[in-house]
Amino acid sequence: MTTPTVIDQKRPGGLANRLRSRLQQFLAFGGLIVIFAFFSFASPNFLTFSNFTSMLFSTVVIGTLAIGTTFVIITAGIDLSLGTGMSLCAVMSGVFIVNWQLPLLLGVVLAILFGGLIGLVNGINVALLKIPPFIATLAMMLVAQGLALVISKSTPIYFDKVPAFSSISTGNLIPGLNFPNAVIILAIVAVIAAVVLNKTVLGRYTYSIGSNEEATAISGINTRKWLIVIYTFSGLFIGLAGVMISARLGSAQPALGSGYELQAIAAVVIGGTSLFGGKGSILGTVIGALIMSVLNNGLQIISVPQEWQNVILGIVILAAVYTDNIRRRGVSA
Amino acid sequence: MRRKTIGVIAAAAVFAMTLAGCTAGSSGSGSTSTSGGSSSEPYIAIISKGFSQQFWQAVKNGAESEATKEGARITFEGPPTESDVEQQITMLTNALAKKPDAIGFAALDSKAAAPLMEQAKSSKIPVIAFDSGVDSTVPVTTAATDNKAAAAEDAKHLSELLNGKGTIGLVIHDQTSKSGTDRRDGFMDWMKKNSPDIKMLDPQYSNSDLAKAADITKSIIAANPDIAGFYGSNEASAEGVAKGIQESGKTGLKAVGFDSGKAQIDAINSGVLSGSITQNPVGIGEAVVKAAMKAIKGESQPKFIDTGFFWYDKTNIDDPKIKALLYQ
Amino acid sequence: MTQTPAGPEPLLRISGVNKSFPGVKALADMHLELRRGEVLALVGENGAGKSTMMKLLSGIYTPDSGEFFLNGTKLHVTGPRQAQELGISIIHQEFNLMSDLTVAQNIFIGREPRGGGFFLSERALNAKAQELIDRLQLPLNVRAKVETLTVAKQQMVEIAKALSYDAKVLIMDEPTAALNDAEVATLHELIRRFVKPETAVIYISHRMDELKSIADRVTVIRDGQYVDTLDVQQTSMKEVIALMVGRGLASDAKPVGVRDDREILFSVRALSTKDLLRNVTFDLRAGEILGFAGLMGAGRTEVARAIVGADKITAGTFTLRGKQITIANPADAAKHRIGYLSEDRKRFGLLLEQDVTANITLSAVMERFSAWGFIKIKPMKAKARQYVEMLRIKTPSVDQTAKNLSGGNQQKVVVAKWLVKDCDILIFDEPTRGIDVGAKEEIYGLLNELAGQGKSIIMISSELPEVLRMSHRIAVMSEGRITGILDAADATQESVMHFATLRPNENLADARELGLVDALAAPIPGAGAVQRGLGDK
Repeated sequence: MTTPTVIDQKRPGGLANRLRSRLQQFLAFGGLIVIFAFFSFASPNFLTFSNFTSMLFSTVVIGTLAIGTTFVIITAGIDLSLGTGMSLCAVMSGVFIVNWQLPLLLGVVLAILFGGLIGLVNGINVALLKIPPFIATLAMMLVAQGLALVISKSTPIYFDKVPAFSSISTGNLIPGLNFPNAVIILAIVAVIAAVVLNKTVLGRYTYSIGSNEEATAISGINTRKWLIVIYTFSGLFIGLAGVMISARLGSAQPALGSGYELQAIAAVVIGGTSLFGGKGSILGTVIGALIMSVLNNGLQIISVPQEWQNVILGIVILAAVYTDNIRRRGVSA
Repeated sequence: MRRKTIGVIAAAAVFAMTLAGCTAGSSGSGSTSTSGGSSSEPYIAIISKGFSQQFWQAVKNGAESEATKEGARITFEGPPTESDVEQQITMLTNALAKKPDAIGFAALDSKAAAPLMEQAKSSKIPVIAFDSGVDSTVPVTTAATDNKAAAAEDAKHLSELLNGKGTIGLVIHDQTSKSGTDRRDGFMDWMKKNSPDIKMLDPQYSNSDLAKAADITKSIIAANPDIAGFYGSNEASAEGVAKGIQESGKTGLKAVGFDSGKAQIDAINSGVLSGSITQNPVGIGEAVVKAAMKAIKGESQPKFIDTGFFWYDKTNIDDPKIKALLYQ
Repeated sequence: MTQTPAGPEPLLRISGVNKSFPGVKALADMHLELRRGEVLALVGENGAGKSTMMKLLSGIYTPDSGEFFLNGTKLHVTGPRQAQELGISIIHQEFNLMSDLTVAQNIFIGREPRGGGFFLSERALNAKAQELIDRLQLPLNVRAKVETLTVAKQQMVEIAKALSYDAKVLIMDEPTAALNDAEVATLHELIRRFVKPETAVIYISHRMDELKSIADRVTVIRDGQYVDTLDVQQTSMKEVIALMVGRGLASDAKPVGVRDDREILFSVRALSTKDLLRNVTFDLRAGEILGFAGLMGAGRTEVARAIVGADKITAGTFTLRGKQITIANPADAAKHRIGYLSEDRKRFGLLLEQDVTANITLSAVMERFSAWGFIKIKPMKAKARQYVEMLRIKTPSVDQTAKNLSGGNQQKVVVAKWLVKDCDILIFDEPTRGIDVGAKEEIYGLLNELAGQGKSIIMISSELPEVLRMSHRIAVMSEGRITGILDAADATQESVMHFATLRPNENLADARELGLVDALAAPIPGAGAVQRGLGDK
């Protein structure tokens, strides 16, 4: 290589490299813009304030799950317990707030921590017991689903005595504007997650473990401990998603949620996070989740039969991963 | 390296599952048995279409109380969601293996259950179909709501509420099950025949997911500023319609639902839903056990037992006769 | 030896080829000529552009400009499959074989004889493969599964597969990297007898000694540019190396700064593991380079892994600065400032997908670059830049992804990681493996510099000359035990080999009886052979 030893961080090579590694995000973002433009053109009813907020609103639960699981996926793990874990946390929020009549804030915090507990168990199974993440979280998926039904006695828990709970999701913090709090919470959560991923030791080790777990361990980092921390942290988002969905519906639905894990994983993948680990970003995941909900909403608005909506969504996932592969080939020069 | 392999497996699984449109709920079904003392009592295995939903719990209660009355032993189980056809078939297979005296069965997919129906027939186990019924000659009788007639009743009420004109959205809970198609077709047929000025949008399907039903409702409202009314074809769909209308902030809409449940009752009381059709889930449960006992004793009975339905709205919701049929 | 070219037009001609990647000019005005029936060695440092050339020839990359001619016809290669059909076959360092299939199935993969319609004819397949194997006189059973074969035999399968395509040009990337002496001889014999007459070979190798035995001409490239092509018989290897690195090589270097009066920093006593190590005992002094020599499987890497807690130990104590310490996992070792640089950089050393900064600061993120759990990116980059400069790591920037660096520079990144951690004890496992000659010298200089600063270094190496020129003392291992510790002054290739082949369970007399020591007494047939004998893995 002809490059001299002199280091200059402003070299175009470095910048181009960085740009390229962000290509997937740009592609995803570009895709989002194109989809958005298309629907705006196709239907005058698409680009209205109320439809815009309802699209954002419908992103909240999947988005929260997807943001949390981005961490796990960057470690080259997977979490299949997202959906039913969320149901379980929703039920627990009902138990804490309705059945035990704990103060609202305490109940919410406990429900979120309960999600952390689910993550902790997943983390222990993966890191200490060395059960492959796919299996460990598959088992947790079943356990959570069963527990949600058992604890709720298979009936929804209603929050109608605690109207303040619903306002966590449906209230309007911005006065005079019909803009649900849930969206604001999602935005805050995304920012927090992005900061944690990019600016903290936890985030740094998340990337390290995903890039090369063995090398990270040899570098003197207790990868087992950190894997548990990462799964636990990711679990907090499961808890938050549980709170958000029960706040939105005004009830904790024990049977709802299975299948959500795949939507969340799909959002993460569309956003350019690699299932092989080491790569990914919160911004990408948020864009991925938005693409999913814009597509869902837009296709309904332009009256595409529902059967075809799934087909289109599947094709979008394939296209996203395909572009990711192209990028990979491009960089491994 | 192992991690990477897992990643590949996971990726493959995600795609397989996503593309198959499956909901990945593989368990979490429920089952309860009412133990009834000695094993000489007739044993009836009941496989329903769901378990945790309020409606099925009410059916279960009806069946259990009737079983106690008649001195029978029952088990009641059902898959976690109404798309888990395969899981329901497994439950039916296992139930047959236990050689019950009679089987109560509400098929998610009649065709998938056909071979098992034949097996029941050859083992001389009488089958009582219930709810949406089983599309087969095997069942002795079917205890069910006439869904088409019930949906037509809903259509009639919505048409009256809208004075016979306007655009309406249909949120149907399922596009493959018989109850889904009956409630869709019964509603649409009546509208087309009797209220031609009402414009029906293409039906959308909620898969009994409350949040999804709410999102669909909001999309329909956004796409059709002239929307005047909604029809939700089961508990989750009707509650989702109510949720969606509330979240959109749109007022003056008329919406009718199906079944009951706390949120739906609240919505009717608060006026977001104008009214709803209730089936008689407790009655269905009772009828299943009653018919099963008759079949075990070899008594003859009609091919179809209509368990009935009722329209309820703000005016009669507290009527004890109606109240008895509603579940919270 | 060299056959005169049939005409003015060589078999394969490459001219004016340019290829750039973002930030890197990989090839500049490259040209090369391959004559009919010759073995052309292609040599150059890592990063000189050899692998880019291979990828261009096999159609994996397309050149930015330049032309290829095969037999005077202009080539336009679009992919590996097409290259193969045109008569250009490549045998990569990592074989493209399906380990669960048989030899015959591998050779004719994608071209299976059909037994009518959709069905395969295994009999026709095996017969066809047998015919080929017989013609090449290869010691292979066509029905054997590839996974049961030795590396050397797997390579034969690759060669047979390439020749079955009637390859006109066969490119071999480091074909002897994993072979022992006898196997190398067999391979060369195979090339001389069966490959060369019909098929010209481009032979890429780091091993200077074997070029003499197999190559007719050698083409040297450096920094993506053509340097020269020489006739092997009339060229000394020193000349070739000088052309490769672009400077003369210090020969017969001696260990520097050898002293035996320094304090003992770290002691290992009676270290044993379940599988291999027995009673390993040694001291490490401050500012010392302690070489670890031994044959493959002697347990050198295992000692390193046990010391850093990567493998569990069943017995033994570690004493650091007079205090006994326990090391249960690599995190403990790092806490005691013991760093391990694995022989397998890609697997244990680097985060290939992460940038240089992340790699260099990885070990020290927690203690040096974070506050309240937040990482301080600016100091991290500054530190990375400092070490990039200090260790002369060639990279366009500290934001470059590690996998885009050459082997030597990757190694330096791993070294930097442990220096940033401020380690007192550094264990280098095969520090120069897969690194080109020029970069090796830099790594040697670096080790000496580190020792000069008072850091203690354990250097595990399979290259005996390397051990001899670097080590202040040499611990020689055999079958999981240390059989001897030699001072630099006493160490020779012969004495190291003596202890390396000693059966630790028997005394010297027994060893003599078995002919082990006697064999050592016999003249050793050249340093190269010894080096290889030790290096075999």
